[in-house]
Amino acid sequence: MKALILVGGFGTRLRPLTLSVPKPLVDFANKPMILHQIEALKATGVTEVVLAINYQPEVMLNFLKDFEAKLGITISCSQETEPLGTAGPLALARDKLIDDSGEPFFVLNSDVISEYPLKEMIEFHKSHGGEASIMVTKVDEPSKYGVVVMEETTGQVEKFVEKPKLFVGNKINAGIYLLNPSVLDRIELRPTSIEKEVFPKIAAEKKLYAMVLPGFWMDIGQPRDYITGLRLYLDSLRKKSSSKLASGSNIVGNVIVDETAKIGEGCLIGPDVAIGPGCVVESGVRLSRCTVMRGVRIKKHACISSSIIGWHSTVGQWARVENMTILGEDVHVCDEIYSNGGVVLPHKEIKSNILKPEIVM
Amino acid sequence: MDSSDKVVAVIMVGGPTKGTRFRPLSFNTPKPLFPLAGQPMVHHPISACKRIPNLAQIYLVGFHEEREFALYVSSISNELKLPVRYLKEDKPHGSAGGLYYFRDIIMEDSPSHIFLLNCDVCCSFPLSSMLDAHIKYGGMGTMLVIKVSAEFANQFGELVADPDTHELLHYTEKPETFVSDLINCGVYIFTPDIFAAIEDVSINREGRANLRRLSSFEALQSATRTLPKDFVRLDQDILSPLAGKKKLYTYETNDFWEQIKTPGLSLRCSELYLAQFRHTSPHLLASGDGIKNATIVGDAYIHPSAKVHPSAKIGPNVSISANVRVGAGVRLISCIILDDVEIKENAVVINSIVGWKSSLGRWSRVQADGDYNAKLGITILGEGVAVEDELVVVNSIVLPHKILNVSVQDEIIL
Repeated sequence: MKALILVGGFGTRLRPLTLSVPKPLVDFANKPMILHQIEALKATGVTEVVLAINYQPEVMLNFLKDFEAKLGITISCSQETEPLGTAGPLALARDKLIDDSGEPFFVLNSDVISEYPLKEMIEFHKSHGGEASIMVTKVDEPSKYGVVVMEETTGQVEKFVEKPKLFVGNKINAGIYLLNPSVLDRIELRPTSIEKEVFPKIAAEKKLYAMVLPGFWMDIGQPRDYITGLRLYLDSLRKKSSSKLASGSNIVGNVIVDETAKIGEGCLIGPDVAIGPGCVVESGVRLSRCTVMRGVRIKKHACISSSIIGWHSTVGQWARVENMTILGEDVHVCDEIYSNGGVVLPHKEIKSNILKPEIVM
Repeated sequence: MDSSDKVVAVIMVGGPTKGTRFRPLSFNTPKPLFPLAGQPMVHHPISACKRIPNLAQIYLVGFHEEREFALYVSSISNELKLPVRYLKEDKPHGSAGGLYYFRDIIMEDSPSHIFLLNCDVCCSFPLSSMLDAHIKYGGMGTMLVIKVSAEFANQFGELVADPDTHELLHYTEKPETFVSDLINCGVYIFTPDIFAAIEDVSINREGRANLRRLSSFEALQSATRTLPKDFVRLDQDILSPLAGKKKLYTYETNDFWEQIKTPGLSLRCSELYLAQFRHTSPHLLASGDGIKNATIVGDAYIHPSAKVHPSAKIGPNVSISANVRVGAGVRLISCIILDDVEIKENAVVINSIVGWKSSLGRWSRVQADGDYNAKLGITILGEGVAVEDELVVVNSIVLPHKILNVSVQDEIIL
């Protein structure tokens, strides 16, 4: 089986993290975002993954080389030279996706994190016999999204309504598709939208079916949702494989700690914290609702909440970092400094307090 | 001055209606007893007086309740082996009026000179050298003066002095336009002739009031406008009229000087007094290297009854009062921690004053920008304030007995 992952653009919404690496390589729960998808695909039996990407394909491929061997999966890139929307990249990668098998292929959106029930999706696809399956997820405020109106018992999609003013349903497109190769015949090689142009036509022919995604779903394309997404992900991990979560008297709630990270005495960690490889958390540190990426050092008595600490950064003694502070790669917060919502670009030293949310260039 | 001549010192301590700018810290302690560098504010001028040769007595004059000063006055008298007495005015008389009101008591020992100090100034009080200069000038009074930057001078009494003779040539209180960058420090020395000068003001005022009783309308007006005859201000009523009459002289200090108007400035003054301790009372300064005692950076005072965990880091400019408990991994920078406060593990306090019996939770953070003159430049927690774990309080004033369960910034919490 094959799969296409829509990687897309520069990931500007996740800056300053995406100033250092392409968005799919930004760590989420101690693993590059795209690995969550690739591993789920591999577990479902996918052998070949195509990344639809429009910048830095060499950085991506270099990085993924190790994983190709480790996972036994082929990864290639299909590079857009101009933005092709959400459907155009499928046409561009047509030759890589079509083979003699005639099997359907997955299309995944790289911004999305969920439990990836891909095996169930294959079953669903086989059972309805239509041309395409999409995953939908229930949301509280459907007016912000494109709503999928479907027949509840069979899942047959009737129509798509973009940002409805009146309630038409609460299921939205979750960005996970399983498509028969014939769908590619419906897509021209030009900038085009899969939700607005391709799916409505298939739906009109009653060949599009939607499956409600069990479990959580989150678009983690921006920092606030990234932090919420980590909470949902760790909640799900608690239910499915709680042995991966840290435990101990200094741990509160769901926490993952890489085995190479060191944690000092008198710390209180959690809930909803990810501590990456090679991190050093010194004694008396408080961490809650935050991600601490690879190679970070948190010095004694510092306190961090609701923030993301980028790769190889340091947070000084008695520093306080909170309220959606995002430290880019290699940022150094000096001792005793307070950052309230500072968004700091890579390679900076923070020597004075940031009292109100602001961007530090 | 004869070696047998006695001198006395009078320290004006004001009263409860005077300390409003010092709220919320003046709600439960008279401002003169608020600790700076771990010692009551009034302790610093008293210690300076103790260094004057032939000092016979110190009088504290004000209109606070006597019981508020009773304990302090008896303990300091014992400590210094010097009689210190609190004299309560029946009402505010002004600084010169207060002195005059107690003239019989002050003159009991027939002193040759009387020091008059305002309690709410913070300086090195170079009293002995001031006395030498006064005797050399041969006038009725000598006042301590200091040069400040022209933009701040108008908040104080501005004056002009003769550069050669140091005579006071002109004096004006808080002028609207710039007069001089020399200001009055609120520290004086007088011969007993000062009492006659104050009496003259009283008599003149009475006479003027009689003369002006021309119409009932004007009498009504002047009754509200004219001050009572026993209220005599030192600055407007004595210094201004006597300037340029070869009676008053100035002694300029090049040391530090601040007026302790607000809680924010008390933190600044605490810093100045701690620095002075290096020369005058080094035994009061804490030391520690983080092994047996907490790590100390710069100047800090820690009361012997306070318990500070060895893993805490303290200073510079920190004063910790009696029975304070400072937990493991706490960081204190530029702050005054008042009696019975509890600071739990890993909390941080920067540029703040933490009121009596307050408690700060684990990983809580109380801080401010440190601008002593800004309204919210120093964070002040009143008595019995509780800050819950992990909260942040920035640039705020919290009135007594509040429990904070959310973080606050740039706020006054009633």
